[in-house]
Amino acid sequence: MKRTFTCIVCPNGCEIDAEYEGANVLSVTGNLCPKGKAYVTQELVDPRRTIASSIRVEGGTLPLTSVRLTSAIPKDRIFDVMKEINAQSVAAPTHIGDVVIRDVLGLGSDVIITKNVDRA
Amino acid sequence: MTHRQAVIVGGGPAGLAAALRLKEKGVSDILILEREKLLGGILRQCIHDGFGLTRFGESLSGPEYAQRFIDRVEEAGIESITDCTVLDVSADKVVTAVSRAHGLMQIQADAVLLTMGCRERTRGALATPGTRPAGIYTAGVAQNYINLQNIMVGKEIVILGSGDIGLIMARRMTLEGAHVKGVYEVQPYPSGLPRNIEQCLNDYGIPLHLSHTVVDIRGRERLTSVVVAQCDERFRPIPGTEEEIPCDTLILSVGLIPENELSLAATVALDPRTRGAFVDEHCQTSVPGIFAAGNVLHVHDLVDFVSLEAEALAAGAAEYLLTGSLPACPLEVKAGQGIGHVIPQHISGTRDFTLSLRVRQPMNSVSIVVRQGTQEVLRKKMRKALPAEMVQLPVKVARLTTTADMEVYVE
Amino acid sequence: MQDYDVIIIGGGAVGSAVARELTRYRLSVAVLEKESDVCTQTSGRNTGMLHAGFLYKPGSLKAQCAVEGNAEFDQVAKELDVPFKRTGKLIVGFSDEDRARLEYFIERGRQNGVPGMALIDRQRMDEIDPSAGGNFAIHCPSSGILDPFIYTIALAENAVKNGARYHLYTEVTGADRLDDGRHVLHTSRGDFACRWVVNSAGLNSAKVSDMLGIPGYVIQPVKGEYFVLDKKAGAFAKIPVYPAPTAKFTFDTHATPTVDGNVLVGPNSFNVEDGEDYSVRQSGMDGLQESGARMFKHMKREYYIRTFAGARPKHIDPATGEIQDFLIECRDDVPGVVNLVGIESPGLTSALPIARRVVGMIREREALVPNPGFDPVRHGIVRFHEASREEQARLVRENADYGEIVCRCETVTRAEIIAAIHNPLGVCTVNGIKVRTRASMGRCQGGYCETRITAMIREELDKAVTDVRLTNGNSYMFTGYVKGGGQA
Repeated sequence: MKRTFTCIVCPNGCEIDAEYEGANVLSVTGNLCPKGKAYVTQELVDPRRTIASSIRVEGGTLPLTSVRLTSAIPKDRIFDVMKEINAQSVAAPTHIGDVVIRDVLGLGSDVIITKNVDRA
Repeated sequence: MTHRQAVIVGGGPAGLAAALRLKEKGVSDILILEREKLLGGILRQCIHDGFGLTRFGESLSGPEYAQRFIDRVEEAGIESITDCTVLDVSADKVVTAVSRAHGLMQIQADAVLLTMGCRERTRGALATPGTRPAGIYTAGVAQNYINLQNIMVGKEIVILGSGDIGLIMARRMTLEGAHVKGVYEVQPYPSGLPRNIEQCLNDYGIPLHLSHTVVDIRGRERLTSVVVAQCDERFRPIPGTEEEIPCDTLILSVGLIPENELSLAATVALDPRTRGAFVDEHCQTSVPGIFAAGNVLHVHDLVDFVSLEAEALAAGAAEYLLTGSLPACPLEVKAGQGIGHVIPQHISGTRDFTLSLRVRQPMNSVSIVVRQGTQEVLRKKMRKALPAEMVQLPVKVARLTTTADMEVYVE
Repeated sequence: MQDYDVIIIGGGAVGSAVARELTRYRLSVAVLEKESDVCTQTSGRNTGMLHAGFLYKPGSLKAQCAVEGNAEFDQVAKELDVPFKRTGKLIVGFSDEDRARLEYFIERGRQNGVPGMALIDRQRMDEIDPSAGGNFAIHCPSSGILDPFIYTIALAENAVKNGARYHLYTEVTGADRLDDGRHVLHTSRGDFACRWVVNSAGLNSAKVSDMLGIPGYVIQPVKGEYFVLDKKAGAFAKIPVYPAPTAKFTFDTHATPTVDGNVLVGPNSFNVEDGEDYSVRQSGMDGLQESGARMFKHMKREYYIRTFAGARPKHIDPATGEIQDFLIECRDDVPGVVNLVGIESPGLTSALPIARRVVGMIREREALVPNPGFDPVRHGIVRFHEASREEQARLVRENADYGEIVCRCETVTRAEIIAAIHNPLGVCTVNGIKVRTRASMGRCQGGYCETRITAMIREELDKAVTDVRLTNGNSYMFTGYVKGGGQA
């Protein structure tokens, strides 16, 4: 089987032509670095993504603080994780790196705060 | 009138990086003027990740990337005034600004650093036909409402233009429950980065329609639909290809324009290609002592490069402030065949510098060639070159002459 | 049921001028306006020209009112604090045919009492404005430019100051009479009673005339599209430049500087069925680019900041299709009605002269008692941008809100936005703030300030996010919160 992937690991966005059988990558061309092959391998068996969103802040100078995942989760669980994030709110102040949900849905990734919001 | 060594107009990524490097280089009297209530610029609303891969080797969100600089600026004791708008910069470097707390201020600066960033192109500039209902937003405005103000702008979304912010917002709005019906791009290729096409559109099944544009906007109160059509190679809609798409929201991601109103006030000459200042390798503009870097100079693809460019600016500005002058840059750098623009436009030929450029259209298996007269300075082979990606080429002084202008072209 | 002496249907420039002039007398006056503000239709969708009056047939109401309105406008602009410049105007020609027509209009202007018109050559044109196209021109020194939004708003605010009431979002749907002859107006916001009705409904004036018992008039909406150009182009435009009139005595595309330093290019002119459809067409804009470049040498795509369209309600004779003069009537067979039909260009210039004629018709039929408290003076919002540096420093010292720039392109401060939000008419739309302050009228078109303005509207007026409106009707800006339940 042949397929062209756009690697999303870094802004280079390499277009990688891959030949594979099942989950077994036979060859890759077009990647500027070894991460490209790893990306293709991962995409074939278990495509993963990170997401970023926001949660409500009570008593802050802003109504929202931003959050992201610390590592990628299976692509088909994105909207499940969004439901978990949407159910959260925090009290001001918020600090970058504070964990909002540890090991969200047992997927091995934390939801962390990415913005400092002071108390109003 | 007060006096400062360096006044930095804009406390976004460029201004912050410039301030830090200036301080490191021994300039002590620095003032950052920022119009928002907080430092950080547009990064405050860019909550997606992917920032800092080059700089920090990590994939950070915009606010995290900005905070790393803000923390260091605060640690370094660099003074900033937020909630403060600069009204005027004069050619003799008098900065006029106003804020609630400080009233009207006039500051004589030895050097002025222009780091104002860019603004979005609007529907008015495109002159898109149709009505003027509510529900039409530029991508950055929608991003502000959604990520900073907790306000949702619509439910059924059409996006015109495939700029990176539009792609990012397609994913953001999808995650927050909106239905993004499609992205329409007048060019035959996307204007955003390939990885954003992949992870913002393809991942969520959002179709990208190249060589298409919006030819009519309908609805008298709130937007009710747009009409899209296929375009020919000269971007003219092809009759008979029109399709009406019901929607309540149109997001525009049709280009960014360096925000150079203050530069013009200071009589800084602008390059029609970048719509930013003409600068030399020190990021000095046509007005001695006035410098520019970041998106106000030319629109960047990655904030990491903005920080780098601002640091190059700071090196130049520090030398200007501490020694009173900079080496002359009499050699012109011309954007030749296949090159959209190039920064800097003037060099000395006596120092290392970095060329920043964009190609005009997508090309495969090309070389970017840098020449001075008959001498080839540099040749970079590229398997693919996209206008969406800024190309950075470090140039070593050993390869340069001081006798010939430089040309950069695609071969 | 609310009961007034006089109700004016339509709060445009003319309706608001009538309201203001009526408040000189002891009368209870109300204006019913179906839209969200007083200048969302014809009064706000035009060139903002103070006409001299040379175009119109001698003896016509259009000629009389324009000349009268033009002559008094320095005083009016001062009284009502309306941005106005008496720029003069060039009407340029290229051919011998044009020259003959221009000479005809100089003579017509002389008959109408327009002062100072003269035919000038290219050399003199270059002294006046080198950016103007054409080989020769009429120079008409009495023409001027004004801010049509602020003029309409100023008339309305002055009327309110002197006791008139404005009812926005109030569309008249029908009219009846009570036994005593008074009118009952049925509206989208309930019934209103009054002794006098003034029909100043503009594009809907024939429809309203019919409701009031005077059928048979025909309004032909004539639409025009415009470009608004950046102030960078405005730096080249010193004076309105019109082409020689067409054989039908209408003007094709012209280029006009605005009082704020932009340039308007347009309008074109075409008949439409629905005068309230303000969409612009690609073909229209393509045409404007071409014809505009003949009038203004800096008509370039890079200067586009906005397009818009307006419609003039032309009163036509249904038999011949010919355009009629302004109709100002008060008929004995339909008492208690002053009917204004076909008030189009030069309606802005003529607003106060028309209003005085309306008052005159009422005064002929009943004794009016002067209102001793009438104050003709209205003060607008003090604009930071127009103040000197010293004045700016003083403004910020006295009110810190003047130190916060909300709109970067037009340098509009928080103080001005707050004043606009609490305007005397109770207008609370984003566009209402825009036309009162110029915030978001600049080259970024709200990219920087719109998010701030909507937040200020919510804070100052305690509105829910879903209640913020761009302009008329249900033009809601937002669908709700991103993360539910929180304070947005």
